Amino acid sequence: MTETGHTRTEDLIAQLAADVRPVRPLRPPMLRALLWLVVAGLVIGTVVAAFGIRSDFMDEMGEAHYQLEWAGSLLTGILSAIAAFHVSLPDRSRAWALLPFPGLVLWLFSIGYGCLTDWVRHGAEGFALGVSFFCFRSILLISIPLSLVLLAMLRLAGPVRPVATIASGMLAAAALSACGVSMFHGDEATLMVLIWHGGAVALLVGLGTLLNRRLFGLFGPRPAGQAG
Amino acid sequence: MSPPDENSPSGTVPDVGWSALMVATQGGDRAAYHRLLTEITPYLRALARRSLRRPADAEDAVQDVLLTLHSIRQTYDPTRPFQPWLVAIARRRIVDRVRIQIRTTGRETTIEPFQETFAAPETNEMGMEADSITLRRAIAELPPGQRQAVELLKLKDMSLKEASAASGASVPALKVAMHRALKALKGALGPK
Repeated sequence: MTETGHTRTEDLIAQLAADVRPVRPLRPPMLRALLWLVVAGLVIGTVVAAFGIRSDFMDEMGEAHYQLEWAGSLLTGILSAIAAFHVSLPDRSRAWALLPFPGLVLWLFSIGYGCLTDWVRHGAEGFALGVSFFCFRSILLISIPLSLVLLAMLRLAGPVRPVATIASGMLAAAALSACGVSMFHGDEATLMVLIWHGGAVALLVGLGTLLNRRLFGLFGPRPAGQAG
Repeated sequence: MSPPDENSPSGTVPDVGWSALMVATQGGDRAAYHRLLTEITPYLRALARRSLRRPADAEDAVQDVLLTLHSIRQTYDPTRPFQPWLVAIARRRIVDRVRIQIRTTGRETTIEPFQETFAAPETNEMGMEADSITLRRAIAELPPGQRQAVELLKLKDMSLKEASAASGASVPALKVAMHRALKALKGALGPK
């Protein structure tokens, strides 16, 4: 047999076989996604309860584009979570990563529609740019614990599908956080939602994708039976 | 190669499919795991060699696959076929190995042994071995006294006194023989 480095393949096999311990197969991905969604719901619910639902939230919900916007971010979050848990498994199709697209399209469409409504209502003033660090920061802060829980649950994806898993996972955490933040923080033009909510989501997905190795390194499986 | 047929007998251990071996592995069965890894290794090697020509690189990829399989063995779902799971892991590790190979070979340049050092033909180092042979032949053709002087003083690096003691010739005689030998060699090897 060919020798590579210092370990022969037969020796490695013997080493791995000696090292094997019983493991419990992972639960079905849909069930694990549901479990994470429940955790995310509890975290976001607690934050929303702490800040209190803003007074005009229910009024806004009477308008079609707010309904669509909120439903779009919620749907993106749910679909991304389902996608992340499926795509994290080596034998599931990579096409699962495309699952959040209907939600994203709905979300972007509603934001576009909102911008148009603002233009019709307020003219050029509807596009006044402002700084809304509060919602930007809130989305990031809520996303952090959600992402950490998700990373811990998806840690085994690191060696095989790190990028698709982390991109879907971060999108799930950020979209649900944005959904929660819009319940206690509002009064912004839709363009601001696009910039600050969209910016926070894009930042989280981008950072997660860029730092995928390091992030999975925090939780990922330790290489057992290391060839040496 | 395909997973072994579950009903075909082989050796002392009842032959079962890779799926069943993996399920046993998840339960902590070391013998089943050893057998599974041994059986999938040739299959993995064949997969790796499609993308990696050097056998050592292919073997490294096989070992990477085995290590990854070990570290994420709980992601195998016993209700699903084993091979797609294995192939997905293998592809990922083989692609990684191909990337490493491309990076490494990108930094390496194959160099030919230098044939020429400078444009002038006499400065070229080519034929150093041939020169050494010619020199030895020229020394062998010297008269015995001169040959002995060269061998003792130059090849064996002795002092005049040591050479004198070893050969019995006087120091002045050795000096003269050496001088004549060098002259003869210059004549034999110098530009014609």
